[in-house]
Amino acid sequence: MSGRRIVITSGKGGVGKTTTTANLGAALAKRGRKVVLVDTDIGLRNLDLVLGVEKRIVFDLVEVVEGRCQLRQALIRDKRFESLSMLPAAQTREKEAVSEEAMTRVIDELAETADFVIIDCPAGIEHGFRAAIAGAREAIVVTTPEVSAIRDADRVVGKLVQAGIPLRLIVNRIRPEMVKNGDMMSVEDVCDVLQAELLGVVPDDEEVIETTNRGEPIVLDETKRLASIYDKIARRVEGEIVPFTNLDAPGIFGRLFTMFKAG
Amino acid sequence: MERRLAERPDFYRGSQATAIFNGELPEDGALSRFLATVTGYGIVLRGLYGGDELGALAERHALAYLGEPPRPAVTDIERKRAARAYKAVELTEKARSLEADFAGARADIANRRARGEASVPKPVFAPTAPAEAGAPPPAAAVAAVVPSSTLYHRGTLRGGQSLQQLGSLVVVGDVNPGAELVATGDIVVFGALRGTAHAGAQGDAKARVFALELAPTQLRIATLIATDDGARRPREPEVAFVEGGRITLAPYAKIGSTSS
Amino acid sequence: MQAFDTPAPSADAQGAATPAVTRGRAIVITSGKGGVGKTTTTANVGAALAAAGKRVVLVDADIGLRNLDIVLGLESRVKFHLLDVLEEKATLDEALVRDKRSENLYLLAAAQTREKEDVVTAQMKALIEQLRDRFEFVLIDCPAGIEMGFRNAVAGAQHAVIVCTPEVSAVRDADRVVGLLPGDWRPELIVNRVRPQLVKRGKMLSVEDVNGILRLPLLGVIADEPSVIVATNRGVPLALDPISETGAAYRAIAAKLSGKDVPAPSVRVPGGGLFSKLGSFFGGRA
Repeated sequence: MSGRRIVITSGKGGVGKTTTTANLGAALAKRGRKVVLVDTDIGLRNLDLVLGVEKRIVFDLVEVVEGRCQLRQALIRDKRFESLSMLPAAQTREKEAVSEEAMTRVIDELAETADFVIIDCPAGIEHGFRAAIAGAREAIVVTTPEVSAIRDADRVVGKLVQAGIPLRLIVNRIRPEMVKNGDMMSVEDVCDVLQAELLGVVPDDEEVIETTNRGEPIVLDETKRLASIYDKIARRVEGEIVPFTNLDAPGIFGRLFTMFKAG
Repeated sequence: MERRLAERPDFYRGSQATAIFNGELPEDGALSRFLATVTGYGIVLRGLYGGDELGALAERHALAYLGEPPRPAVTDIERKRAARAYKAVELTEKARSLEADFAGARADIANRRARGEASVPKPVFAPTAPAEAGAPPPAAAVAAVVPSSTLYHRGTLRGGQSLQQLGSLVVVGDVNPGAELVATGDIVVFGALRGTAHAGAQGDAKARVFALELAPTQLRIATLIATDDGARRPREPEVAFVEGGRITLAPYAKIGSTSS
Repeated sequence: MQAFDTPAPSADAQGAATPAVTRGRAIVITSGKGGVGKTTTTANVGAALAAAGKRVVLVDADIGLRNLDIVLGLESRVKFHLLDVLEEKATLDEALVRDKRSENLYLLAAAQTREKEDVVTAQMKALIEQLRDRFEFVLIDCPAGIEMGFRNAVAGAQHAVIVCTPEVSAVRDADRVVGLLPGDWRPELIVNRVRPQLVKRGKMLSVEDVNGILRLPLLGVIADEPSVIVATNRGVPLALDPISETGAAYRAIAAKLSGKDVPAPSVRVPGGGLFSKLGSFFGGRA
């Protein structure tokens, strides 16, 4: 029985890949799934910070690949979620340290015993990106409703299609008031341009910055609305059809939201 | 073997063992000494394996003679060999070099964690001087260390940079989060230590870490590891050392450089 | 603070003797972390410098993921890009796009459909040298990360400006980048997207928190405003907006880069607090 391998990518940096990886992973773990998060941003690792485990890193991905330790020695079990663990990236190395084949081997091994292997991809489309998608079978493309982010996401979608990796889209950091004023693209506009199936819509929330700095994924707090949104995304990832919340009804979706394949 | 047992005196206590003698027989006297040593460490000798002639010797020392040593089955050997081949990993040159040594002590840490033992205990803060401050160290306990050099680095270490040394390490500058110091000896940071430091990286638990501001992401001495919750705001120079099997911190002013 | 380098021998220029006494300054705008505002900063600082009369060229080194043209609203005018010039499919003059509003500001766009690995470091260096002969400021917009794209962007430059937001991951990535720059450089810091109210409530890192780790000379502090996104989407740099505070901050940064003393802090805080402390920070130095 092999777990699902999903890469979280975007092209543009800073749109929320790592935050999405952490929160989606935690949401799935909350539902009882065995989840392993993998940080592939070698040299610029951040997933450990976002999860708050940076002080517990003993071995990292590069050392696993180089055979200096075993996989289980490098994995860090999250103390808050039983079934969540993560494999940190190396900080003192370069991305060239892990080839696409080596990455695939590690992901394969992780997938043998996990329900979900979620791969946090670095920004850009260089070697680091290629290695990150090498082990994946599915992708989630994260974008913000901004021209430059969408352009970069488009490039990434093209590469994923080329690689034969099915993908879905998360639109992150949407500000419904700005969409209403016409100052920001609507979710529909984004989907039109990217021609991708929508997996989730996450509103901008200033609490995310704070929770990131503290190393506590926002889904830890059930009372936060973002927690329920990530939960819905987790359910959709598992195949459930969950209708989209009307955060601000017609607001985010611009015009009336008609034909849409939910899932 | 005596030395080996002395290193971990309690490790084998209560266990059973057999002795295999291939080739020439030991003398009575030698065997007596061997038995004495072994029993001294609490090891129960079930019997001796060896050629026929061993039988009489065994009887004289009231030990069971177990016959010829068992040969492992061919299939066992093949399976082991196959398993070894499967695990063989392509090591890069870097992995084979000096760096591989530093990973060894960390493996201990990781294994303990994998076994479910408390992963990263908080260091103990001891504002008073340690007990042995007055007594001079017993000469025999000072292990002979391989002669090594000290690396001196002036400048701040940025995240992602790493200094490793067979010997001690001195940094005049800060060590930022994400930076790493590894030394087989002591580590001295004349600045803020905010990254990771591993002193005594090849197992010397007497190694110490000194810093003007000791606030590391993670601290390791030999095979021990410690971190704190980040709430510490050290206001004076401190030193970290191992005491009672745990990493302990104390103000430098109180401890000085007393060796122990 | 010198705006120009001391005269360089013409031995390194391509072929023809360089009559110019002073050569332009090549500055790379970098950060490590993506999405912190490198491109917006490059565009705005460039626009501000140009508005002050300097001849400026902006180079988009984010091959394959170009964005500088969008931020400037010039995407429809790009005919040739950086790789075309490097591969001699077009001349520099054919590739340089003049800004809509200022005659002092030019853009050299990145290629969209190519890869960063297609650029050879030596070629990039040579190109930047050429640009230094023609412009007073060559601002290089660096891609996120620390891979080949980053290395090429840094290759031709003499100075770096680090852009960092008040977030732990951004600080960590910025620190990594500083460690990878040539050891004799003295990079300067811009702290972007600061929200003074959140800092006051202790929900966001302060500038001191950020620079406590980075320890770089502070070039500027820019507050977060929705208007930045709007301006980006519309292709109009805020630096040209006379009433925008963010624009004023960028203009102050440009002034500093060209060697002028800047008496006032970049960000005004409603009701004092954090940045009134910064006032003395700025006032005492330049």
